[in-house]
Amino acid sequence: MKRFVFLFVIFATVLSACAPNATTQPVPPRQADPATVQSASTAAPTFAPGQFDINNWDSVLAAAKGQTVNWYIWGGSDSINSFVDNFYGKALKERYSITLNRVPVADTVDAVNQVLSEKQAGKDPGVVDLIWINGQNFFTLKQANLLYPDWAQKIPNAKLVNWDNPAINLDFGTTVNGLESPWSSAQFQFVYDSARIKASDLPHSYAELKTWACANPGRFTYVSPAETGGFLGTSFVKGALYEISGGAAQWQKFDQATWDKWSPELWNYLNAIKPCLWRKGATYPKDEAELKSLLANNEVDFSMTNDITGAGTSIANGLLPKTARAFVFNTDMIGNFNYVAIPSNAPHKAAALVLANLLLEPEFQADQILPENGFGLGYAIDVNRVTDPAALSTLQTASTKLGDSATPASDLAKSLVGDSAAQYQNLVEQGWVTNVLQGK
Amino acid sequence: MRDKLIFSPWFALAPVLILVSVLLGASLVYGVAQSLGLMSVIGQNTLSLDAYRNILSGQGPAGGEFWGSLVFSLWVSITSTIVSSALALLVAVWLAERRAGSGNVDTLALNWNLAFPHLVWAVALLLFLSQSGLLSRWAATLGLIQTPADFPVLVRDSYGIGIILHYVSKEIPFLALIILAVLRAQPAGYDLIAENLGASRWQRLRYVTLPLVMPSLISGALLVFAFIFSSYEVPALLGVDYPRMLPVLALRFFNDPDLHARADGMAISLVITVIVLIVAAVSIKKGEQ
Repeated sequence: MKRFVFLFVIFATVLSACAPNATTQPVPPRQADPATVQSASTAAPTFAPGQFDINNWDSVLAAAKGQTVNWYIWGGSDSINSFVDNFYGKALKERYSITLNRVPVADTVDAVNQVLSEKQAGKDPGVVDLIWINGQNFFTLKQANLLYPDWAQKIPNAKLVNWDNPAINLDFGTTVNGLESPWSSAQFQFVYDSARIKASDLPHSYAELKTWACANPGRFTYVSPAETGGFLGTSFVKGALYEISGGAAQWQKFDQATWDKWSPELWNYLNAIKPCLWRKGATYPKDEAELKSLLANNEVDFSMTNDITGAGTSIANGLLPKTARAFVFNTDMIGNFNYVAIPSNAPHKAAALVLANLLLEPEFQADQILPENGFGLGYAIDVNRVTDPAALSTLQTASTKLGDSATPASDLAKSLVGDSAAQYQNLVEQGWVTNVLQGK
Repeated sequence: MRDKLIFSPWFALAPVLILVSVLLGASLVYGVAQSLGLMSVIGQNTLSLDAYRNILSGQGPAGGEFWGSLVFSLWVSITSTIVSSALALLVAVWLAERRAGSGNVDTLALNWNLAFPHLVWAVALLLFLSQSGLLSRWAATLGLIQTPADFPVLVRDSYGIGIILHYVSKEIPFLALIILAVLRAQPAGYDLIAENLGASRWQRLRYVTLPLVMPSLISGALLVFAFIFSSYEVPALLGVDYPRMLPVLALRFFNDPDLHARADGMAISLVITVIVLIVAAVSIKKGEQ
């Protein structure tokens, strides 16, 4: 009998541990009373606690006060983690009484899957307030209709963003539609060690790269475009497509015939370079970190990056030698923006909006490009739209402090091209797997 | 009557059985549903066998790799299982022969390896055996090879050598412990009598020891096979992009940005599950005999 009671107690404990604890669950926000909203637009704004109107920024700030914002963010870089905590975390607390809870994820798709599972389990509110998102995961959440709509152009600092720029209002070819707000910009570049290679020996086009690679067999490789962390590889391959086909312009709109015409030549180029690659192209590094460690280990001579600081952030983190430098080809270096998005079931939307707006503040935009701060991506805002003279001069000064390890701004601007239409993304990645990875 | 109920093993196991069947059962049902194309968030509410057709027909992105991955998975799992079983048998027989005294030390030595998580062991192999790894650098320093890149490709190779090395080194102690447990439970007399009757060393191994350990060795080996066949982290770390083992392929498509492609990933997972279940059933049957 005693034994029976004992088992029962254990069983009950286990079960109760599984049951959702009602008191700790966030309470779903009540629907705004139509009368309240109406009076807000006419007279003194009054909102129920936790309620806000996106067009009335004070109501957003009031609703956000005291909230904790759960920011799901790729956690693979210690320097980015501490940048986020030290710059945004502090400012949120001091200025808006918002607590930043940075939730590191190994891969952004984990945050996306969290939101998807919450949706399928009918969990609203969920736990994710803001996601640092890339084009592919943005596509997924947009496809599933799981993003908080129509906010990105309504936050106060949206006026600093050039929303007419197709590189901003299209994310990897998917229309943004106010579903996500930019945080920073990036441009594809190569990284090398100036102690090993003279700047005058660097290749400056895909054709020269092929010559270089086959003169130095095993010393070059690129990130696998097929992997989820392989966006640099995709940019590299698309750049080759641009050069082979004579320019980026025709790839801004999808046309199957153009693809059918040029893709065989792209695979020819990549297969021609394949025997000259590291491990003869039997395998490819799966992300930037892996390629960077190959460069640092002296297994290959080039890495790739999207950082506006070039090699600066990696040098500051001790991942690359101080002699590492960034460079670009003469053209066809794809630039893009990265964004933050709010899931439609986010529990603290107001705080997420405040954070997204804070990311675009000129002072933090200036902080994020400096190599010593550890983030190293470029401006999301258009500097020409900043009217405050002090802020403008901060931004201009910051961009002169990128150091020798960054690609000179004029080279970046000269080589900058936009990404191709969304439909090419899959064609490039799947085609690469079939024709290059699994090919001869 | 009541005592009979309370002391039945099924009753004692009930809490854990309920937990396991609810948690695993629910995920399995959910997995089956998703592999059949059920995904309410994009408005897919009808069942179809498209995902299975995709992967089995060998067409499309997932299907194009499926059969190759299946063969690669079988190659790695079967090779690792056979090699580790054979070596484990030798180790166990050797340890059993010198049974006098040092029994606990032997067991400790075998258990020590079991304490390493697979992930840690795999990273260790990567650090030691990769072309930029410690061994390659030492060899280059000692002048055995000219540059670290001359070191043979032992991890992240197209033949799965790194993965096989990993599993062989991890599973030998596991299987050896199983065999040792059987051998140590037998009286030493069998061996002695055979020796007295003039059996050679090889004959004793073949006609006395092997029949004794075979049933447990086979069920142990089947367990090892099922484990290797369905595990993800080691092939993800030590494998190449192509060919990939099935679990790596499954996760790739389960995380595909296009939600329509995720059913393919789930279908691959369920194929893995079915194969593992068959092997487990055979293993249990063998164990009962």
